[in-house]
Amino acid sequence: MVDVSVIIENIDLLWGGLLMTFKLFIVALAGGLPLGIFLGLGRLSSRKWIYYPVSAYVHFIRNVPLLMLIFWIYFSLPILTGGLVEPFYAAVVSFIIFEATYFGEIIRAGYQSVSKGTIQAAYSTGLNYWQMARYILIPIALRRVVPSMITQSIVLFQDTSLAYVIGLHEFVRMASLIDNRVIRPLELYGFVAIVFLVICSIGSQIVKRLETKEGERK
Amino acid sequence: MKEETPIIEIKNLSKWYGDFQVLDDITTTINRGECVVICGPSGSGKSTLLRCINGLEDFQKGDVIVDGVSIKEISHTKEIYKLRSRIGMVFQHFELYPHMTALENVTLAPKKVFKIPEKEAEKRGMELLEKVGLREHAHKKPGELSGGQQQRVGIARALAMNADIIMFDEPTSALDPEMIRDVLEVMVDLAKGGMTMLVVTHEMGFAKAVADKIIFMDEGRIIEQEDVETFFKNPKSDRAKEFIDRILVHI
Repeated sequence: MVDVSVIIENIDLLWGGLLMTFKLFIVALAGGLPLGIFLGLGRLSSRKWIYYPVSAYVHFIRNVPLLMLIFWIYFSLPILTGGLVEPFYAAVVSFIIFEATYFGEIIRAGYQSVSKGTIQAAYSTGLNYWQMARYILIPIALRRVVPSMITQSIVLFQDTSLAYVIGLHEFVRMASLIDNRVIRPLELYGFVAIVFLVICSIGSQIVKRLETKEGERK
Repeated sequence: MKEETPIIEIKNLSKWYGDFQVLDDITTTINRGECVVICGPSGSGKSTLLRCINGLEDFQKGDVIVDGVSIKEISHTKEIYKLRSRIGMVFQHFELYPHMTALENVTLAPKKVFKIPEKEAEKRGMELLEKVGLREHAHKKPGELSGGQQQRVGIARALAMNADIIMFDEPTSALDPEMIRDVLEVMVDLAKGGMTMLVVTHEMGFAKAVADKIIFMDEGRIIEQEDVETFFKNPKSDRAKEFIDRILVHI
């Protein structure tokens, strides 16, 4: 029998967990986006001493599991530095390091999707570099990049549940703690799934809208 | 009679991409008000030559003098922007700004480069769109226009800076046959109006109708430069003969 009263009784705890999930998500996004922009620009740089280190970083991070990165920062970093790392900071730093590489690649692809001919056309009318960037390059690239950015943010939102493994009391961890006490996995994890589903579906709908709008423009 | 004042002088221009020489000792003069057609097989350096004239491409030897200004000297200075605004360019694949309306495409450079007030730029922009027959499409984005219409917006954009020279880089080769005529009509009008034009094209009908001179290029070199009649009736080189035969048979 499904008994939803377990959800209602523990709604405060679950709400607290969800807030922690949001906090993780927002801090990780606030750090990951700017770092991603720098990585993206670095990957576009013609200066080798910028391009190669940035590319190596992006390549390395994108090819290790996020879970391993979280473990590494939470367990290994204290051995190297001698101090303890708070789970929240370990998680946030891992997410920033990890997601920034994805944001960076999206930005690079957006930049490269602007046709060289369009840029030349802008130059041919006498625009200088900054005018070209401001009125042509950035607006076109941004329009193409925003849907992928939101999609990647949805992935980040789901990834925050991995902070569970280092004991952070985010949404999934909270449900699991309550479950240990009341043994109601179906209701609790079902509820978690529905909440994630609703939030991520809203994000996907926004992407869909933006993509149809972009499609109409073409 | 056209006045013989040189506006573009190309002197011993050579350019390499790595080891590959794309332009080989190009020398020619284009006078004010002339319409010059550049033709030749693909890969012969025609488009590259145009891009050297407005400094979109660097070159290693020789120079291009536009109205007394040496491109070599100004190519990496702010002066190049000023010079480019005096040379309009029309591209094979139109290269309109996809996020802007036809009118915005035309008015962007006048507003930003010449700081012309919005209202004035728009009035002039509408006049130009009228001239290319697209007044009623002014508020459409490029994606809502046909290829021929997009190319005519491209021409209006090139005209918007009141340029002294307009360069056309294969303006009709990406268009469906029924749209080519609309674009050529606009170009013929321009040529008859005394605009200095440099046109890379294989439209020999256009060349016969309005060109003052034909430059035939192959493998980065100018093989012939003649007036239109001489070029078609008595081409000096075998390569030009071959090229003309192939193109005329094609038509």
